Amino acid sequence: MKKPGLPKVILYATFVFLYIPLIILIINSFNASRFSAVWEGFSLKWYTKLFHDRSIARSFTNTVIVTFSSVTLSTVLGSLAGVVIARYESRLQKAHAALLRLPLMMPDILMGIGLLFFFITLKIPLGLFTIILGHVTFTMSYVASTVRAQFQNFDYAVVEAAQDLGAGWWDTFIRIYLPLLAPGILSGAMLAMTLSVDDFVITFFISGPGSSTLPVQIYSMIRFGTPPVINALSTILISVTFTLLLIYQRFSRRSMK
Amino acid sequence: MKRNLLWLAVLAAAAVLLFGGCSSKEKETLFLYNWCDFLDDSLLTQFTEETGIQVVTDYFDTNETMFAKMQAGADGYDIIIPSAYMVEIMHNSGMLTELDHSKIPNLSNLDPEFVKLALDNKSQYSVLYTVSTTGIGILKSQLGDLDEISWDIFGDSRYTGRMTMLNDMREALGAALKYGGHSLNSTDEKELAQARDQLIAWKKNLAKWDSELYKNGLASREFSVSHGYSGVVLQAQQENDDVKYMLPKEGVALNVECMVIPKSAPHPEAAYRFIDFMLGAEEAAKNTTFICYLAPVKPSYALLDESVLNDPAIFIPKETIAKAEVYKDPGEANALYSKMWEEVKDAQVQ
Repeated sequence: MKKPGLPKVILYATFVFLYIPLIILIINSFNASRFSAVWEGFSLKWYTKLFHDRSIARSFTNTVIVTFSSVTLSTVLGSLAGVVIARYESRLQKAHAALLRLPLMMPDILMGIGLLFFFITLKIPLGLFTIILGHVTFTMSYVASTVRAQFQNFDYAVVEAAQDLGAGWWDTFIRIYLPLLAPGILSGAMLAMTLSVDDFVITFFISGPGSSTLPVQIYSMIRFGTPPVINALSTILISVTFTLLLIYQRFSRRSMK
Repeated sequence: MKRNLLWLAVLAAAAVLLFGGCSSKEKETLFLYNWCDFLDDSLLTQFTEETGIQVVTDYFDTNETMFAKMQAGADGYDIIIPSAYMVEIMHNSGMLTELDHSKIPNLSNLDPEFVKLALDNKSQYSVLYTVSTTGIGILKSQLGDLDEISWDIFGDSRYTGRMTMLNDMREALGAALKYGGHSLNSTDEKELAQARDQLIAWKKNLAKWDSELYKNGLASREFSVSHGYSGVVLQAQQENDDVKYMLPKEGVALNVECMVIPKSAPHPEAAYRFIDFMLGAEEAAKNTTFICYLAPVKPSYALLDESVLNDPAIFIPKETIAKAEVYKDPGEANALYSKMWEEVKDAQVQ
C-alpha cells in the first residue's frame, strides 16, 4: 500500500472546504435556536414556517416558471446555434460564435445593468417576462457550446448515408442529428437549468414587482429575516439540485453504453 | 415519431407557461416593497377579504438597494416602507406622491407625540409605520436586574472586553452626544469633539464595534452589554431570557419607518386604502404584537397586551419620548461627523 501523498491530502482538504459549510447549513436548518450559535434541539419548525410563507411560495413558483421557460427556449435556440456554428465554417458563423461567447465572459453586473436600461428604454414592464429573456441571453451560450463540443467526434457519414437513403431534412434532423447530439443538448440544458435557478445578479436588476425569484428572495431575507428559514430553504434547494444531478448522471451513463 | 411528439409537447408547455405567467389577471393588486418579517401576514389576508385587493410583497435588505432600484427607473410598486432618512432623500429626488389626507381618514389616529418628532411632521408625503429606539441590551446575570442605566455603562471597566457599540457613525456619536447632554443632531464642533473624546474613552472597554453579530453575542452570553436596536435585542431576548433591553436615562435615538406612495405607483387608490387600513386601531395593535415594533396608532394602545405595554423595547415610555430624537441629515456638518468618527476609529487604546 502506498502512503497517501500530498495530492490526496489536497483532494480531501478541498472536499472538506467545499462541503463542510453546506453540511453545517443543513444541520442548522433543524436547530430549534434562532441563532446558530447554540444547539437547542431538533426541530422542524423552520420548515413549517417556510411552507406557510406566502411570498416564499410565490418566489418558488416564479423560479419554476422562469427556469422552465428560459431553459426550454435557450435549449432550442442554443442547440440550433451550436449546430450551425459547427456545421458551417463561414465568416458569418465565426462572428456568430464570437458573439455567442461574449455572455460567457461578460461580468454579470454589466449584463444586469445593460438589460435593465434596455428594458426601461423600450418601456417593457419589468417582470417574469424580462427575467426569462435575460436568462435566455446567457444560458443560450452554454447550450451552444456543449452542443458544439458534441460535433468533435461527429460522423458526417451517417448524415450522408441517411440522405442517400432518401431522408428529407426533417427526418435527418429528428433521426440523425437529434439522437447523436442528445448528450450535448441534455448536458447543456442541465447546465442552463442550474445557472437559471441560482442566478442572482442579473435577476436582481431585471425583476419587477412580484417577480422575485428564490435567490433574490433569499438575499433580501438575510439581514432581517429569520436565518434558519433561509437554511431550510437552502437545504431544499440543495436536495433538488443533487437529485437533478443524480438523474442526469444516470441518463448520461446509459447513453454512454 | 414518439420523440417528435415529445418535443412538441415540451414546446407547447413552455409556451403556455411563458405567456400564462406574463398575462396579468384583471383582479386589482397592490405591490408592496417592504423589509423582511416586517408585517403580520394575516393582516394582508384580512385586507384582501375586506377590499378584494390582492397584495404582493417584495423585500429589500437595505434602504440603499431599494433606492438604487427606484432610481434606475424600476416602477410598479404602490407602497414602499423605507426609513425616515431615506424618505427625505426620496422626497428630495421628487419620487414621492404628495398625500391627499381626505383619502386617509384614519390619519388622525396617529400618536401626535411621534408625529411631532418625525422629519415630515405634517405627513405630507409619508405616514409613520413603526417607531423604535436605539438603546442597550444587557445580561441580567452579569449586571443585575437594573432599573436604570446610563450611556456611561461603556465606561465601566468591570465589563471590559464584553461590551460592543454599534459600528455606525451617527449611532455611536449620537450616544456620546446624548451622554454629554447635547442633541444627537448637534452640528457644533465643540460638542462633537467632546463626543469624540467620550467615545475614545469608552473604546478601551469595548470588545468591538459591531452592528451585525451582537444579537448572537448576547444570546450566547459572549457579550454582557451591547449598544443596539430594540427589535434586534428583542430577538436575542426571545432566545435567552437573561437579555434585557434598557433605555439610557440621558435619552435615545428614535428610529422611524414610514409608508410612502411613489409617484410611479400604478394603483394609488389601493395604496391609500392600504395606508388607511394599517392605521386602524385593531390592525395596528395586531401588527405591533406580531412584529414587536410599535405602530404609533394611539387608539391601538388600549388593545395591546399587558406584556407588550410593559416592554420598553416595544412600547416606548412617555419619559423616553420626551428625551428622544430622530436623526436628521446634518448637511454641511456631515464632513465634521466623518472626521470625528475617523478619529475615533483610528485612536490607539491599550
